[in-house]
Amino acid sequence: MELFFDMAATTPVLPEVQDAVVAAFLEYGNPSSLHRKGMDAERMIQEAEKGLRASLGRSDGRIVFTGSGTEANNLAILGAARRFQSRGKHLVTTAIEHPSVREPFQALERDGFEVTYVRPEPDGGVLAESVLASLREDTILVSMMHVNNETGALLPVDVVGRALSSRRKTLFHVDGVQAFGKIRDSAAVARADLYTASAHKIGGPKGVGALYLKSGIDVDPIVYGGGQQYGLRSGTENVPAIAGFGVASRLAAQSIDASYRHVEGLSELLINGLMSFDGCFVERPHAASPYIVMVRFANLRGEVLVHAFESKGLYVSTGSACSSKDQRHKGSEVLLAMGLQRKECEGAIRLSLSRFHTEDDVRVALSIIREQTDWVRSLL
Amino acid sequence: MRECIIVRYGEISLKGGNRSAFERRLVHNIRDHLWEFPALKVVRQSGRIVIEVDDANADDVLSRVANVFGVYSVSRAVIVQQNLDDMTQAAIALLRTRRESLLQEVAQVGGLTFKIAAKRADKMFELSTPQLNEELGARILEQYEGTKVDVHEPLAIVYVEVREDGAYIYLDKQSAVGGMPVGSAGRVGLLLSGGIDSPVAGWLSLKRGVELEAIHFHSYPFTSERALQKVETLAGILANWGGSVRLHTVGFTEVQSEIRKHCPDSLSVTVMRRMMLRIAEGIALSREWQALVTGESLGQVASQTLESIRTINDVTRMPILRPLISEDKVDIIRRARQIGTYETSILPYEDCCTVFLPKRPRTRPTIAEAEQAEETLDVDELVNKAVLNTEMKTFLANRGLNS
Repeated sequence: MELFFDMAATTPVLPEVQDAVVAAFLEYGNPSSLHRKGMDAERMIQEAEKGLRASLGRSDGRIVFTGSGTEANNLAILGAARRFQSRGKHLVTTAIEHPSVREPFQALERDGFEVTYVRPEPDGGVLAESVLASLREDTILVSMMHVNNETGALLPVDVVGRALSSRRKTLFHVDGVQAFGKIRDSAAVARADLYTASAHKIGGPKGVGALYLKSGIDVDPIVYGGGQQYGLRSGTENVPAIAGFGVASRLAAQSIDASYRHVEGLSELLINGLMSFDGCFVERPHAASPYIVMVRFANLRGEVLVHAFESKGLYVSTGSACSSKDQRHKGSEVLLAMGLQRKECEGAIRLSLSRFHTEDDVRVALSIIREQTDWVRSLL
Repeated sequence: MRECIIVRYGEISLKGGNRSAFERRLVHNIRDHLWEFPALKVVRQSGRIVIEVDDANADDVLSRVANVFGVYSVSRAVIVQQNLDDMTQAAIALLRTRRESLLQEVAQVGGLTFKIAAKRADKMFELSTPQLNEELGARILEQYEGTKVDVHEPLAIVYVEVREDGAYIYLDKQSAVGGMPVGSAGRVGLLLSGGIDSPVAGWLSLKRGVELEAIHFHSYPFTSERALQKVETLAGILANWGGSVRLHTVGFTEVQSEIRKHCPDSLSVTVMRRMMLRIAEGIALSREWQALVTGESLGQVASQTLESIRTINDVTRMPILRPLISEDKVDIIRRARQIGTYETSILPYEDCCTVFLPKRPRTRPTIAEAEQAEETLDVDELVNKAVLNTEMKTFLANRGLNS
């Protein structure tokens, strides 16, 4: 039996998506070609855009397909900063962003920009006031994630977005990778000028992401070439992946509220179960997405638990790898910022859900977690 | 005109009565390394080995053969008829190619300087060696403009070997890996961790002609499948050098868990290493290994002080080879890069095991202390279970996993 509770890392491709990808592979035209083959391919991209709009909740503006959510974040941040640097060189983001946001900001700092990293609250969330308080006359970009990928913290993008909508010179970018297709009208809710989405977190294929740009918003490209996708992302479009992305987005949008309620029920069941175990602590921000649950086991290491669980078919992630020697994870501060000791962070794991999980899945997962943590403890 | 690779072996030609067996082993190993070229003929020819090649595969064959233990040097040669015209033409062709890669040097010296180093294995050949040197040199000077003879510091040496089946002509003797043919010195068991040292120790043992098998201790779930995969990759790399490597993976979790429960924290590493040796010895007996090999280097870590080594060693009478005992870390790293294990060794998939690492390990544990620490540990039972709880996989050169 396989229980994949690592849906925030990636998701299985949905059958409908697979069909769409295969169909698009057979429609081999280049969307830029003048002939009919090109138009057929272009139509598939337009169709996919509609699918994304259903989840984004925006009918205006442009959608640029990229090679990943990471690339979309880079395009938004580097592109906005470079385009508007004459207006000011101050940028605002939070200290709990994904590396695909944090790293471009650090690159911009090396290029002479000034970046304010807003600290999280002890519960892992970020206050809208903290973000707004860091704004300056010369702030040209605010970037924050919609849902934190480690704790599930739901950030107040709506409040920040509303406040920023009156500031014409400050762009608002939201990294929506963990929210897109899970929170209704995610880009609209956030009033984002720029909104990042990724396909493979919602049953789409890997290797495709997207950046939504509100109408009237423009950024500099980071990839130059033949001028595809409004000149914002040159390179022949990955038509099959984009087609799959469109279908995944449409399917997510169709049941988005029912799914949310279903997953809320599952996470409640999961959290209650976990809290009944000895030495198990659920680290839950006040406002959190039900799709992600962070839990911590005293005196155990997340990495060891990952391997113990997988032997029983349960797949999860380590939480914050703040103890890991692995450079890729260095600087993940979310749990530390929540006031946990480094030692305590080591025992954290992340369970992430999808709308396809059932209550039975959660029950079985809980029993595996209990049995395996007991077993590992018995070895020590 | 034919092309060939001349393969020379130094040390094994000294081995008196065993010489023939050594040579056969070397030919066998070379064929094994050239398994992708089944049509190639690998022929023993009075004190060396000749492989006939063609232009398409020559470089590939050369680089593979140069990595076969027991091979001291290799040359890419052309074989022509035993007549001076053909030999001259072949030498000039080689010199022309050489000139293209030495344009600057040639300009500096004011011409392509060369000398002839002839050898006459076929005593029936009409010219003596000095005559051949002279005659060939003169013809080249005459027929290839811009060449000069320089017997002291030539830019190119034209080696000519006149044999019964033709004249072999080449410009270089490229040194090869050296050592002894694998399989000529018995079989050993390497304690292979995922680190930098043990693969190098394994490589050095292969170089001295032993057949290598490896033991890895796997503490699932405290070490991950990725850590195991890494060790398998290392075993595969060693197999590329040694022809084949059998990897024995020992389930070690219970042993570690029991040590943690029964032994003082400060001696847990000492006891763990003693258990590893006991288990290795158990496997060694059934696999008929003559010795164990470890990557220990004196003083490198707490378990590698002289006192530690003695206390750990005390559990077995089996010889333990420690090829790295006196090596500095930088030298080990250099060697690891050279043999291609370094990049794999530094992958970060082993830190889980640190859950069992004591805060303050004893750096100079005595035998008596270790024995006392093991008093409540059911050593025999644990060792027997671990030996049985072992999986074996075989890796073959350039072919990866075989079973």
